[in-house]
Amino acid sequence: MRTPLPLLGGLLMSATLAATAQQPAVTFDRYSLDNGLTVILQEDHSAPVAAVLVMYHVGSKNEKPGRTGFAHLFEHVMFKGSEHVADGEHFRLLQEIGANINGSTTEDRTNYFEVVPSNEVELALYLESDRMGYLLPAVNQAKLDNQRDVVKNERRQNYDNQPYGTAYEKITGALYPPEHPYSWPVIGSMDDLSAASLDDVKGFFRTYYAPNNAVVVVAGDINAVQTREWVEKYFGGIPRGKAIERPNPPLPVLPADVRLVAEDEVQLPRLFLTWHEAPRGTREDAVADVLASILSSGKSSRLYRALVLDQQIAQNVDASADGSEIAGTMSIEITAKPQRTLAEMEKGVNAVLDEVLSHGVTEKEVQAALNGEEAQLVARLSTVLGRANGLATFQLLEGDASKYSKEFDRFAGITPGEVHALAQKIFGSHKVVLSIVPRGKRELSADPAVPQKKETPQ
Amino acid sequence: MNRAFACAAILLFGATMTLSQTNSQEPDRTRRPGPQPVPHVALPAIQKAKLANGLAVWLVEKHKLPLVAMSLVIQSGADQDPARKPGVATMTAELLDAGTGSRDVLQIAEELEFLGASMSFRANTDASVGNAVTLTKHLDRTLALFADILTNPVFPEKEFERIRTQRVTSLLQQRDRAAIVASNALMHVMYGTLHPYGNDASGTEASLKSMTRNDIVAFYKASYRPGNATLIVVGDIAMNDLLPRIEKSFAGWEQAQVALRVPPDVLPAQRRVVYLIDKPGAPQSEIRIGYPALARSTPDYFPVSVMNRILGGQFSSRINLNLREKRGYTYGARSAFIFLKHPGPFMASGGFVSAKTDSSVEQLVAEIKRMHAEGITAEELAFAKKGMTGAFALNFETQAQVANTLQNLVLYGLPDDYYATYLQNIDGVTLEDVRRVAAAYLNPDAMAILVVGDAKLVKPGLEKLNLGPVVMLDTEGQAIP
Repeated sequence: MRTPLPLLGGLLMSATLAATAQQPAVTFDRYSLDNGLTVILQEDHSAPVAAVLVMYHVGSKNEKPGRTGFAHLFEHVMFKGSEHVADGEHFRLLQEIGANINGSTTEDRTNYFEVVPSNEVELALYLESDRMGYLLPAVNQAKLDNQRDVVKNERRQNYDNQPYGTAYEKITGALYPPEHPYSWPVIGSMDDLSAASLDDVKGFFRTYYAPNNAVVVVAGDINAVQTREWVEKYFGGIPRGKAIERPNPPLPVLPADVRLVAEDEVQLPRLFLTWHEAPRGTREDAVADVLASILSSGKSSRLYRALVLDQQIAQNVDASADGSEIAGTMSIEITAKPQRTLAEMEKGVNAVLDEVLSHGVTEKEVQAALNGEEAQLVARLSTVLGRANGLATFQLLEGDASKYSKEFDRFAGITPGEVHALAQKIFGSHKVVLSIVPRGKRELSADPAVPQKKETPQ
Repeated sequence: MNRAFACAAILLFGATMTLSQTNSQEPDRTRRPGPQPVPHVALPAIQKAKLANGLAVWLVEKHKLPLVAMSLVIQSGADQDPARKPGVATMTAELLDAGTGSRDVLQIAEELEFLGASMSFRANTDASVGNAVTLTKHLDRTLALFADILTNPVFPEKEFERIRTQRVTSLLQQRDRAAIVASNALMHVMYGTLHPYGNDASGTEASLKSMTRNDIVAFYKASYRPGNATLIVVGDIAMNDLLPRIEKSFAGWEQAQVALRVPPDVLPAQRRVVYLIDKPGAPQSEIRIGYPALARSTPDYFPVSVMNRILGGQFSSRINLNLREKRGYTYGARSAFIFLKHPGPFMASGGFVSAKTDSSVEQLVAEIKRMHAEGITAEELAFAKKGMTGAFALNFETQAQVANTLQNLVLYGLPDDYYATYLQNIDGVTLEDVRRVAAAYLNPDAMAILVVGDAKLVKPGLEKLNLGPVVMLDTEGQAIP
């Protein structure tokens, strides 16, 4: 399989061009510093703005047992100043120039970014380099405690005080074996957040916040030659860290269906069906996107049309495919109308899935899904931040930033037969079925007989 | 295993190399890098045209990506809902794509999905807006569909019933979301039910149940007229290409006089009242503090914006630094003047850990009082003005952003040179201006303080603060006798 590839290069190239005629190219320079830092410069002068984005190849899947939520808590600590930047100064300096600032943590990566007027790129590079190279002298117990409180409030606000907010951690806990790093939530548990210590912060920083585990992207209205000098000046002296051992468990397989019921402060019951699918960057993950779109994108999609529009038994329904670095999920969420049960929802969903399993999908449905995918891929190129994040993500998680502007290749030529085969593979495998019902209304669940899992109080 | 060891050895070797190289070349990190020369911000060049039926067309060309974004802005929103029928404007917008003279709801959906285009039809308090984004290659078909939806909707009875039922259920679901319950209830206590801002724009259970298809048809006929609309187009097309296409799609839209009603005057708040909505077991309290304040037309727009940026308008604001970074009570707290066609609210808000509900209210009120009494410092003024000046450059990057800035001009009748003079206007704000508007428009003695939280836990503390009577409300914002 490997040998013919170089020979086919020319042919593949022309096929690619035809398939991606509408996906505009994103040109960039990529190189590495001596300390292993990957640098990507993407020059584009269409607006006087630039994004500086640093992505570290670390997320919740690198956490140790008993310290769930730590990668995200650490992200918060990164905003509390470094050796040459006082507490509060990072935000103050950037807000003074009108920058748009944030950071985020997923299972696989953590990013930090500033979108700045294009004459302020050097300040952003300076600030990012200071926390990459000189965080630890500025970290102390008070800062850690403050951000621990902030993160606990984030958990309360976005999970515990949100209807259905704790569904995902219940699902991943059942979908993955406990040793699999996707089995715990990015936000972590309250107990583990409480347990995080300054030593944890130091160890985590030394292991993962090294230049050889990061990519810096500067995108937008920049002078690439000048920017290159600044990157060398500010990041060049940061020492390389040790090689990183990454979790690489085999693709998880669910040996049998798992059926769960939980009560929550909600008015309407909601059913969550979740299967394993392929990791990101694979053809299978692209086909899964098309399948999810055929199932629930728009009013004429299979599930929406049947259950929301025609039968009107559901308030809403959504299917999505989500490929991460070492595994992926296909999920369907459906909320029942008042007086309807989740057993009815499951029956309704199964009838639609059975139809797909027996007769497949149409050429027209696949084409519509691909057209939607194409429009989305073009639209997300429209901001410096979108391009910076896309290039960094593909560089870190798929090893090559140039895959970013060729993403539509993965979708090229998807056939109804391919979608049908994948539907049979995914929906023929075992799944997690979670019913979330209003307090005291277990009879509305898909499994009235299943006892509620005992929950640890938060 | 062997391979991994080999890798590690090479990496370690690299590390020693780098270390020995770098100590000499490390920059002086105590010096902050300064800015390069200020870049030129190219303001969107607006080209204007008008169809014979009165439809205004505004175009900004942007050719970087093969995309065209369109917004049809109708100058009637929930502020034009018939008396005691909140929800009509938003229902009308939502039902536009439920069927036209030549396409039923599924045909519209299928065509849209096949084009890969996205469309949305929504109404807010001040306007009804249809948005469409398409790849340039699908512009003709997208435009034809967009115009058909906007100018020939038939509002099928069956779809009307379906959406109405769905909305009644959505209202039920909203009760689960403390943040929405809090914001809606605050608007209700601030504005009352006679003013359109006092009602949930998506309707109440009573208004939805009494609404008929005729209400929708009447609202459509009275509001969706070319003379009451502006079509904003931003993207990969020139006016001479665009105009014939728009003529073709929108020329049949019938003209008629539109009379816009002015809602009743907003009565200023008279005293401070604490409202409490019980959410047993809630781990956080959603807090809202506010009162009716200013319309977008206020001559003090710029000084008020500068003042609020320091009070609660950004991460490094007094409110957020105090409540989040100093005390750790919240994931984020903020304040805003929401400038609307008619006087919109001032609102301070956030979600706070239940045990610190009273302290959070106390600190929020204290920050508002301090600003009211003292204004800001010269250093804060410079910080806010510089930040707003820098942020200005970030406003015109995408088609959606440009369309949005144009919508502001259209909706609030701002002058054509509004963006050309924006930086000058920011620069002209003085300390005295900020002190004056802080004294005039912050109103610490007459505010509604609304909390959605676990009453058993938080009520005693709120009473002890002695900020005003504590009144219990239900989730719809109605007083519990």
